[in-house]
Amino acid sequence: MPNLRDIKRRISSVQSTRQITRTMEMVATAKIKKAQERIESARPYALSMMEVLGNVARYVQGATHPLLEEHAERRRIAIITLTSDRGLCGAFNANILRLTEGLVKQAAQDGAEAEIIAVGKKATSYLKYRGVTPVAEYRDISDKPTFAHARAIAAHVIPAYAEGRLDAAYVVFNRFKNVAEQKAEVHQLLPIERRVVQEEETPGPKPEYLFEPSPAAVLEKLLPMYVETLIYRALLESAASEQGARRVAMKSATDNAGEIITTLTRSYNRARQASITNEIAEIVGGAAALEES
Amino acid sequence: MAKTLLCEIVTPERIVYRNEVEMVVAPTPDGEIGILPLHAPLVTLLAPGELRVRYNEGKDVEWFAVAGGYLQVHEDKVIVLADDAVPSSQIDVERARQAKTLIEQRMAELKEQPSGEADTVESCIADLEWCEVQIRVGERRG
Repeated sequence: MPNLRDIKRRISSVQSTRQITRTMEMVATAKIKKAQERIESARPYALSMMEVLGNVARYVQGATHPLLEEHAERRRIAIITLTSDRGLCGAFNANILRLTEGLVKQAAQDGAEAEIIAVGKKATSYLKYRGVTPVAEYRDISDKPTFAHARAIAAHVIPAYAEGRLDAAYVVFNRFKNVAEQKAEVHQLLPIERRVVQEEETPGPKPEYLFEPSPAAVLEKLLPMYVETLIYRALLESAASEQGARRVAMKSATDNAGEIITTLTRSYNRARQASITNEIAEIVGGAAALEES
Repeated sequence: MAKTLLCEIVTPERIVYRNEVEMVVAPTPDGEIGILPLHAPLVTLLAPGELRVRYNEGKDVEWFAVAGGYLQVHEDKVIVLADDAVPSSQIDVERARQAKTLIEQRMAELKEQPSGEADTVESCIADLEWCEVQIRVGERRG
């Protein structure tokens, strides 16, 4: 027969776990909102930037820039892996790391080396476990990513690509679809895809733009900033997704804890009932024995 | 004839300013540029410095410290894509000064012991410039 006190102890332990998961769920819900706002406030800049880039590209026909050029051979690629600093967020990190692993394998098959830029403690510890040394590590930024972070990360890939030390760069992150859904995705950062700078021909007169100091100089600065903006956006989306994933994970944990408590309470009551019945039986038995004598 | 233009100052993190104004004066690498309504379409680089907008028939002026970026003029709309921008009323001169001292110390250290990373010195220079611009604009207008 299960011990009454043991069951009681388990119930109270599950109860305190439920309290924690419920709190985490609420905290995540509050943080999603903030993270979403941050994505929203980054949008105007990204949109204006695309507009300017489109305009510039129209004027620099057949634009050539080191960041636009595809390298003939792929010998070395960089993968920027965006994970969280903390766990308890379901498959959030596992999906990212699986995708990263896939990219590395693919690269190895094509005879290319892959270097990894790890963002988030989870990526660092996973890579350590796999015996891979990342070329750069960042942590404690998933809570509140800033543009300076994006710039620092971009500084690893942009000059390397321009100088030919890198042949491609990718970012792996969780895209924020909505509060309950996020999708791990791979985006190519470098070379910058041509369609970004190739405006489709629109009929009618086009505005004649002036460029200061020159179209090429503007493009020269604009393209690295475009890459930085892409990374910044990925950081923001990943941060929002992390909170979303945590909320869902914590919600199901809270629900499960509730279920366990119900079951445990039931078996506790059953055990209590059983012990009472037992006692009555003993008393009745004892009384009967007395009468007989 | 249009009398105003829409001026938008955006940084990667937020929209700093958005208003109908009569004139925008912005710092570029080749000197200041003034933009009035009906300006020809233009894309230019921005230098770190002071950007000002005039409105209310030239009576009101607002100042901003900007840290470089771009400016686009298109059909009476001025978009300023700044790396960073702060209105003069929000500049904390004291903090900028402290940051400047810190950066200068760091640069001195780097000069004595070059760590081999050229980009750290470069980023220091950019940060230093940004602090100086903030101090300059903040002192004059604050």
